[in-house]
Amino acid sequence: MTKIRLATDVGGTFTDLVYYEVNEDGIGGHITAEKSHTTPPAFEKGVLNALEKGQINLDQTSFFAHGTTVVINALTERKGVKTALITTEGFRDILEIARGNRPDFFNLRYSKPEPFVPRYLRREVPGRMTYKGEEVTPLDLSGLAAILDDYRQDGVKAIGLCLLHSYANPAHENAVVEEINRLWPEVEVVASHAISREWREYERSNTAALCAYVQPIARDYLNRLEESLSEDDFSGSFYVMQSNGGIDTVAAAKATPITMVESGPASGVLGAAALGDLIGEHNIIALDIGGTTAKCSLIEDGRVDVTSQYMIEKNQLSAGYPIMTPVVDIVEIGNGGGSIAWVDDDRKMHVGPESAGAMPGPVAYGQGGTEPTTTDANLMLSRINPDYFVGGEIEADMDGVKTAFANLGTALDLTAQDAARGVLRIANNNMINALKLVSINRGHDPRDFTMVAFGGGGAMHAAALAKEMGVPKVVIPAGSAVFSAWGMLMSDLRRDYARTQPMAVVPENAAVIAQTFAEMEAEAVTAYRNEAIADERMRFEFYLDLRYDGQEHSVRIAVPDRNLDGAGLEAVLADFQDAYEQEYTYRLDAGANLVSFRVVAFAQIDRPELPKIAQDTGLQNSLKGTRQVDFDEDGVHIANIYDRATLGAGAHFNGPAIIEESGTTSVVFPGQSVSVDDYGNIHIMTKVEERA
Amino acid sequence: MATAIQSANDPMHDPITIEIIQSSLAAITDEMFATMRKTAMSSIIYEVLDFGVGMFDAEGNLASSGAGIPAFVGMLEPGVKAILRKFDGDVHEGDIFMTNMPHFGGVSHLNDVVLILPVYADGKLIAWLANKAHWPDVGGAFPGSINPEALDIYQEGLQLPEVRIIDKGQINQALLDVITTNSRVPDTTLGDFWAGIASTRAGEKRVKAIVAKYGFDTVRFAIEDYLDLGEARSRRALQELPFGTYNSTEVMDDGQKLQATITISEDEFLVDLRGNPAQNASAMNCSFDATFVDAQMIFKAIASPQTFANAGTFRPVRMLTDKGSMFDAEYPAAMSTYYEVSMLAFDLLWKALAPALKDKLPAGHYSSICGTFIGGPHPDTGVAQSIVEPQLGGWGACSDRDGLNALYTGYHGETYNCPVEVTEQRNGLMVDRLALTTKPGGEGEFIGGKGIELDYRVIEDNWWLTMAYVRSEVGPWGLDDGRQGSTNYVVVRKADGEETRYSSCTAIELNKGDVISVLTASGGGYGDPKDRPKNQVLNDVKNGYLTAEGAREIYAVEA
Repeated sequence: MTKIRLATDVGGTFTDLVYYEVNEDGIGGHITAEKSHTTPPAFEKGVLNALEKGQINLDQTSFFAHGTTVVINALTERKGVKTALITTEGFRDILEIARGNRPDFFNLRYSKPEPFVPRYLRREVPGRMTYKGEEVTPLDLSGLAAILDDYRQDGVKAIGLCLLHSYANPAHENAVVEEINRLWPEVEVVASHAISREWREYERSNTAALCAYVQPIARDYLNRLEESLSEDDFSGSFYVMQSNGGIDTVAAAKATPITMVESGPASGVLGAAALGDLIGEHNIIALDIGGTTAKCSLIEDGRVDVTSQYMIEKNQLSAGYPIMTPVVDIVEIGNGGGSIAWVDDDRKMHVGPESAGAMPGPVAYGQGGTEPTTTDANLMLSRINPDYFVGGEIEADMDGVKTAFANLGTALDLTAQDAARGVLRIANNNMINALKLVSINRGHDPRDFTMVAFGGGGAMHAAALAKEMGVPKVVIPAGSAVFSAWGMLMSDLRRDYARTQPMAVVPENAAVIAQTFAEMEAEAVTAYRNEAIADERMRFEFYLDLRYDGQEHSVRIAVPDRNLDGAGLEAVLADFQDAYEQEYTYRLDAGANLVSFRVVAFAQIDRPELPKIAQDTGLQNSLKGTRQVDFDEDGVHIANIYDRATLGAGAHFNGPAIIEESGTTSVVFPGQSVSVDDYGNIHIMTKVEERA
Repeated sequence: MATAIQSANDPMHDPITIEIIQSSLAAITDEMFATMRKTAMSSIIYEVLDFGVGMFDAEGNLASSGAGIPAFVGMLEPGVKAILRKFDGDVHEGDIFMTNMPHFGGVSHLNDVVLILPVYADGKLIAWLANKAHWPDVGGAFPGSINPEALDIYQEGLQLPEVRIIDKGQINQALLDVITTNSRVPDTTLGDFWAGIASTRAGEKRVKAIVAKYGFDTVRFAIEDYLDLGEARSRRALQELPFGTYNSTEVMDDGQKLQATITISEDEFLVDLRGNPAQNASAMNCSFDATFVDAQMIFKAIASPQTFANAGTFRPVRMLTDKGSMFDAEYPAAMSTYYEVSMLAFDLLWKALAPALKDKLPAGHYSSICGTFIGGPHPDTGVAQSIVEPQLGGWGACSDRDGLNALYTGYHGETYNCPVEVTEQRNGLMVDRLALTTKPGGEGEFIGGKGIELDYRVIEDNWWLTMAYVRSEVGPWGLDDGRQGSTNYVVVRKADGEETRYSSCTAIELNKGDVISVLTASGGGYGDPKDRPKNQVLNDVKNGYLTAEGAREIYAVEA
């Protein structure tokens, strides 16, 4: 019997479905994609609609990976449950005091973010640990019953818990949870150490509070979705996309749903890493250009960079809220296909961050938009085909586009054409600044990387950006518009464990370091075994966050063998010195400190080999025609227009060229060359000298 | 080199390229800022963000600044200009200069050391880059170099007149040795020094890259155009302000009277601080340049606060002072606690304008940096620790909402407090409590934001405390019948139970079991308390900010 492997990705506007069949011989078929509208607040409906549209037989589905925005929506729309917070005595206001910062620093009428839990619901228990995890004051739970009575009366549905130094010793937090479970089993409790074993009490408190706030919502959602699927006889494995660039079991996701908070962007980066693995590219700059934002992230040696310093709603005007959960390290800027170009009172042109959104959308949609967007500029320069706009579904309103750019140009005394070029230059420059943040500014040479570009706008801008950055090659994946969902299909289980345990990096500490890693690995192994995952599927990576004595910021160093001895530690120190100098340009003759341990636990999932596409039978079969395209600084040229769907493996041609497909358009500049690989990915050589 | 988009308006300069170069200037100073933050050794730099970076045109005018604190935006330009004056014609590629003398371009106090690097492209000077950061110790009579009772600057530490520390790429090791030897924390000092060098050199690389790409003349034009843009924005914002003359007076904790007059007219924002007390024989003094930063900040707060700031932004600002007054103290006046004097001036200007600009300015905030310096041996290692920290406090109420609880001062910005869990590990003392204060003060239709109560417990002998807070006797001012806020002070509770209240102290001794209790003010209230809606008052009681008795007496509400 054939089996189906599928992934669904719930986005802001659309819910994507990608799937493929695996035949009786275990050979995978081609990947198919469907889209359906997202249906808030009952997001599961959109998923079911997409499955129906794809006529998926759930009883034949063996693998189902799911990415959802339910957590981030509940947070940003403040639609969580009534939540309380319990802290160490003397510290209930930590959640409100926060860190005291004011990003909008000239403004004396700043608004500080409101805490998710009001003061009267923040209560305290006596008991104290030190940073070494030693108890100095015993825990006193005598007042807890009264606190819970108050909470019941106030209609509290979930309780966050954060006690000082619980990252070092969670015994007190565990005892409080146990007592709450005994006294009030129905209430949801989230202990901070269950999500993060890293220090910084405000960040951990806020994480516990926000996790509690969304926990019932996310759990109900996953339960509803599971029920609907089993009604349709689904009995395969169900996984949920996480923010750390891996998937996890639905049971684990329900236990700490906050780990799903940034799963959408993470799956795209994961896809880029998986694609790199497939085609032998291990150093990658992933670039995802959507309607309102561009996101980029760096993958080195196939490793996705994960951070626990994630914030929501942080921007130039607000301090935002920290969530200490592992999230793929992504730099995001407000520049996408729908970003609006505008001229300020000083006659300076800007692009974004305001976006035309889905309604009215770019001027070319003819839905009433009058302000030109990046997409309109691509049309104006004939990079996008007006006769094949949105895969031919929409007739581009080119009169409207021309008028919009004529108006924009008037303010700057530019022709409409130059105004459109200017929009692309500024949009590209904004994206270059973001790309530099993840590469050059962290000491990486872009010449050592390949850019994997996806999302609706990735293919349109990537070749120009890569050339400017000095990135020698761009890969536009097959199905780049649904690449995030594809990434989930390629994913393994991934769990990130971190523990703050400061100590000096000296040979005497090698044994305790090795011991800590062993304990953390054992914790991961136990968790996987409890879910019946076989040992041979497990794989572990070990990292240490190290810093010089006295410094705050640490550098993450991979530890090849967790059984560290004195010599092994020396090697780690040498790696630290090199990595530090790469990022910060100098090294110090100072001792090093260990701040946190990190263990990444993967569990491999069987995947059939991906099918290859047919060999190319001659470019004439794919050549749709030619048109005059404005390549800005590279001139206006007659470019060949290719139909991506019919390009076979091994196809090879030179720019200037445009490659069209229903979801996006790839722009190839003069002097650049293109080849198509066995899996249908487009490789653009950007005319940059690769480093010897 | 990029091809130009032709503008009919100015065929010489393509507006898109100029815009891209200008956004690159901001990216350069952002990167310099990030580099410093990541590499600095001192928590006052990487956590408190007591530092700033800037890029200047060839004449030393600030073009772009990277700062986490508004006060640091205007702090670097006088230093660059001082170097230009002293080394006119003797500046070379690969040089790096230093200064820290507040009276002569160093602006603030000796701890704030400025590193200054000229950038050359095509063999010509195109720009200057500078980095100024608070080093935790530059010598002087007491650890931390902050000495509220210093009689003159010689008691405050090592003075670095404008000096060349790196000469065409060669470090002046003798000078560097003098600098590190004069610090109680030489390793940290060296770390902060190299972090500053790394930060300016990161900027240098980027400036050279944009000149290579766009050409010397175009970049030069873009920088000057950026200054003009800053000025144009300010002048337009100035036209929207209410023209007129505004006054304020204030009584200092020691009874001295302060006064300010601001005149806003079509083409000028004139700050007059003449008639204020003479400079003090203590560190309660401010240089003209430091006081001028206050004038710049209050102007920017009401004139387009959310756009960038450079030298052009502040062209409409002019300030008058009496030479030799506390707001324009002359050499060799001590200045290590200049920031409290500067804060007094800032608050005075804020108070003058607030009644006329209620949509932009709240009532008075706690208005003291509350610089707290604590040190002693770490109980685990015996190594000397020093905490250099400002404190959080309450902000004043606005005409339409309550004040903000626990935020750093208007002088600060992206300043972060040090987490309790980190403080305890790093510094080796215990924090028993960090809470919002419920002391009376700041009542009104809209209430002042709450200050904090923070208890540090010393757990090893031979520790010390230095601090100097203002608004320790007179709380922050309210607006429109809103009540005055509470006050800033420290209570030291000895292990034997003896309690002493301080608004200022220098290196007092503390031993195991002693508690330093920091209390900061709640902000001023706005409007008559009787007009506070009943449900809000009940909420205050529910949240534990107000007693039932307080509700009855102040708000006439039965809770």
